[in-house]
Order: sequence, then C-alpha cells, then structure tokens
Amino acid sequence: MLRILTALWTKEWLALSRDVHGLAVLFLMPAAFIVVMSLALSDAFKEGARVTDFAVLGSPKLAERLAGEGFRAVPAPADERLARDELRRGRLGLVVVLPAHYDGTGPVTVLADPAIDALQLLAFRERLLGAALGIDLKRATNVSVEVIGSPRPARPSSVQQNVPAWLIFGMFFVVLPISALFIVERRDGTAARLRSQQVAFSLLLVGKIGPFFVINLLQTVLMLAAGLTLVPWLGGEALSLPARWDLLAAVAACTSLAAIAWGLLVAVCARTLEQATVIGGVGNILAAALGGIMVPRFVMPGAMQAVASLSPMAWALDGFHAVLLRQGSGSDIALPCAKLLALAAVLFAAAAWLQRRRG
Amino acid sequence: MGALSLRDISFRYAGASDAALQGLTLDIPRGGIFGLLGPNGAGKTTLISLIAGQLRGASGEMLLDGVPLAEARRRAPRSLGLVPQEHAFYPMLTCRENLRFFGGVQGLGAVRLAERVAAASAFARLDAVLERRAGELSGGLKRRLNFAIGLLTEPRVLLLDEPTVGVDAQSRAFLLERIRALAAPDRIVVYTSHYMEEVQAICDRVAIIDHGRVLLAGALAEVLQDSARSLDLREDGTLRYQLRLNAPADLLQALQAARAAGCEPVSIAYGERDLEQLFMRLTDRSLRD
Repeated sequence: MLRILTALWTKEWLALSRDVHGLAVLFLMPAAFIVVMSLALSDAFKEGARVTDFAVLGSPKLAERLAGEGFRAVPAPADERLARDELRRGRLGLVVVLPAHYDGTGPVTVLADPAIDALQLLAFRERLLGAALGIDLKRATNVSVEVIGSPRPARPSSVQQNVPAWLIFGMFFVVLPISALFIVERRDGTAARLRSQQVAFSLLLVGKIGPFFVINLLQTVLMLAAGLTLVPWLGGEALSLPARWDLLAAVAACTSLAAIAWGLLVAVCARTLEQATVIGGVGNILAAALGGIMVPRFVMPGAMQAVASLSPMAWALDGFHAVLLRQGSGSDIALPCAKLLALAAVLFAAAAWLQRRRG
Repeated sequence: MGALSLRDISFRYAGASDAALQGLTLDIPRGGIFGLLGPNGAGKTTLISLIAGQLRGASGEMLLDGVPLAEARRRAPRSLGLVPQEHAFYPMLTCRENLRFFGGVQGLGAVRLAERVAAASAFARLDAVLERRAGELSGGLKRRLNFAIGLLTEPRVLLLDEPTVGVDAQSRAFLLERIRALAAPDRIVVYTSHYMEEVQAICDRVAIIDHGRVLLAGALAEVLQDSARSLDLREDGTLRYQLRLNAPADLLQALQAARAAGCEPVSIAYGERDLEQLFMRLTDRSLRD
C-alpha cells in the first residue's frame, strides 16, 4: 500500500513540478492579487482614513484653525469662480467662502464636492462652527470617546482582508491541475491501464490528496509571507501574525481538503479539459464573488450577506479571520472548520460514487 | 481445456443497442502467441478490456486454469500485463520515471523495481532514451515504452492490443521479433491486430471474431489448411454455401452440380489460402464504421 502511494505521490509531484502554468495559477496569481488588492484598497478599509482637501477664501488663519482630523488645508484659489472650477474638477473637497471683511459674524458659505461623504460634510460644518465660536480645535482633539457596551464586530484592514481572501481563492484553484491531470489520464488510457493493474480508485484519490494538500499548505506559508513582507515593502500595511499557529494550520488544512475534494469532483464530472476549466474556474469565481473574497461581506447589504454565508470560501474566510483578525480560540474556528470538513466529505463521496457508477 | 477459458461471454455497453460480445466462447492455451483477429467493432478490444479488468459487468465465465479470473488475479495481482492501443503513459515524465511509476503502483520493491526497469527497458531497447521525456519520443519509441511498461512484472498473461499501430516498418519488425521472443510454455500471450501478415508471421493459434462472436478458432496451420479445402458459392458477393471437399477431384463434381442447378461460376478460388483471404471471407467484405 505504501509503495503504491509513494509511486502515486511521486508521479503527482513530478507532473505538477513540470506544469508551469499550473504553478503560476497556484502561486503567482494569489500573490499578485494579495499585493495589488492590499495596496489598492488600503485606504478604503480604514474608517475615516480619507483626507479631504479644503480651502478658505480670504482667511488663511481660519484655514489653519480648521485643519486636522481628516481635513487638510490647501492654498485657496484667487476667487470664488476659480474655487467652483476646482471643485468641479474634483481637485478640492470643500471651499469656505467668507463675506467681505468677515469679523466672525454674517453668513458663511461652504461649497462642497458632490462626491463628499455626508458625515464628513457634517463634521466639517461642526469644525467651522467651533472655529466661529472661538473654540480651539487643536485642543478639542484631546477629547476621547469611549464606546459603552459591545463594540460592533471587528472589521479587517485591507491586508487582513486580502491576504486570507486571495489565499483561499488560490487554494481552491487546485481544481485546475487536479482535473487536468485526471482528464489526461482518462483520455490517454493511463487510468484504464492503472485499473488493469488493479490500483483501486480510492488509492488514486488518496494519491491526489497528499501532494495537493502539501501544495495548499505551501500556498498558505507563501501568501502569509507576502502579506508580512512584500505588501509593507511596497508601501502597504504589514499583516499581523496570529497568536495560535496551530489554529491557522487547522483552518488551512480544512480549506485544503474542501478545495481538493471540489477538484476531484470536477475531475470526475468533466469529460474534457475545456469542461473542467469552465466548471472549475467559473465555479471558483462565483464562489469568490459570493463569499466575500472579491467584495468584503461587510459592505454587502443584509440579504446578500445571508446568501454569501452559503459559499465555502466564506466559511474559510471566517476561519482565517477568527485566527488572524480576532486572535480567536479553538471554539471560534470550530464551526467554519466543521462546515469545510463536511463539504469535503460530501464531495469526496460524490466523486467516488460517480466514478463507480461510470465503471 | 485452455489455460484461459472464456465461456459464453456477453457484454453490452451502457446505452448501446447491440451487444459488443454475444455468447463468446474461446480457449486460449499457454505457449506460443494467440492471435485475435476481427474487423473494427468486432469486439476485440472489449474482450481484452474484460480480461484485463478494465470493464466489468459481463455475463459468462472467465477462468484461468479453472479458477475464476478475478479470484486468480486477487491471488497473484501482478500476473497480468496489458499493452493497450493508446500510449498509456505520462508524457511529462521521462521513460525511466514512467517505468518506475508503473512498476511502483504494482507494488515492486526498490531493488526489484530497479532490476525490472533495467530488464524491460533493455528488452524494448529503451536504454538510450531512459532520461528523455516520453512526450518527446518518436512514434516507434512511444510504442516501445508502452510495450516495456506491460512487461514490468513479467506477467504470466500478457495482452497486447494492437501494439504496432502507427509505427514504421523497422519499429514494427523489431516489436514483432520481441513479441515472438515472449512466447514461453508457461505464458499466455494474446495479440490483437488488423495486420494479417503480422498475425500470420508470429501467431501459433488464431481466433477470428466478428459481431461479438467467434467465427473460427484453432491452430493457424490447421485453420489455413482447413479453409483451403472448401469451395464458396456466392451470390452478388454474399456467401450462400460453403462446400467441404475431400479431394481435388470433388471440385469438378461440385462445379457440374452447380451448373446443373443453373449457377454459372464467375471465378473459382480453391487451394492454398492466406489469412487475409480467409478473414475477408469469414467477416464478409462490407465496410465497418
């Protein structure tokens, strides 16, 4: 038995190591997504991180007082017409227009970019009011806010969202090399030859699981390393490491089993390489779009979030976030891991049943 | 009774209207090479696949030395070798890696595996290309690798399903010479081919099958001799009567009787025949898809 498995694993390794395209899909694609998406969305994931440029016509002193907490004073245009022009072009977010000879009284107009967030506009208005009342806004920032009661669930930063998300996406893409080799074996008669040599189908399945499980774990290590080193090196935020590596390994292992089982089912169902690419590739992209890989679930409306929770990629992401984001315990990953393992068992059974039915 | 006895074997592919094999009965003895002939769709590959265990669900009995074949293979899993029609190996692996893999999955240990890889590659003269990737080999070398893989376990039952398809004359001659060298008193070698001259050159016994049935089986020399003593009476190319003649003098008598019945002979074929003539006569001349 061990000899047979060793032969099967060696063959899979050799075949995979010579499949340049397969390796690129498994390693380069998720790494590229991690770097690009972590950097591109770094500000979008920070609440209040956006800085709005503003100008005050006729009072550089007031501009200096209003600056801070997400508002940056920039040199004012020469007159209101030019200011409106700058706003239209999106070069400025807000412009304060004071009446001539302003002495702290009289109507003050704020011109705003239509794209500006309503809360930001309100905050700026409050700052302007405070300045008009003579409140020292620089000292007012010392006021701290304490949230009473349970805080809302932690939201990931860009790198905390994108590293596990694209890692999961990459792990599920083992569907392509698994199904490709399986279909080539069937097409070229090697599968039939192995059957004539009385190699059990269950052994062939185990022969696929071993190498691709190691590939998935390698992906986990390399993608975490990308989040830890490559993203900050390119100017992004570094990924914070988990306190419990064993839990991280458990989540990665469960995700891997589900991904491999999915790959085996596609391999058994698809009759051609084209079918496998369409079923496996499109299936993965849909599961990713639905499961919060491409669009974080917290920005989805409630109904979509409920639908998203049906995606196995969402279960995997829950598990990774429990470890990486919330530094959770075993009980926090139990449910997502159980779901992934149950899915893996169902998919393995379906693949074995279909294969037996086809003879 | 033959060493490999096939008794009343019937098999139908799922969804097919006609059975691929219909009550086929055949005895294949040890020693020599057994040629299995038949036109496209006759059932040769189906029969080979059933014997090799690639297909299941046939009715009838397959016995090896009186023991059900499945049971015999459970007792000695490495006793059967198959050289399929397809290049059934991994193109991205080298010849050596392919040989090691197929030997490994049959449970050969490290030392025995190394010995058998060396022996099989030497037998098929692959030594010079062992480190080359299989996908980069010429057609003849691919056939030889396919052949060598089937020999790794020194099987007592060797099934060769059209092992010379698509190779040049030199490679074919080499493969035929090697296959002939495999004939041994304790080994069953079944060889299927479309090429009559190949079968006539290397086989000791033959069976011609068509539409899933055995049309004729026996020692090649006897089959050819036997067919040389028959006179075929055809109408519009279709065989109507086959007369067995005891002596050449009977030929004249048979022709006179035919004329008396109003039949005018168009051509007469009588005397020494080759396998191709016999094959065409038995399987009819209609094209097969």
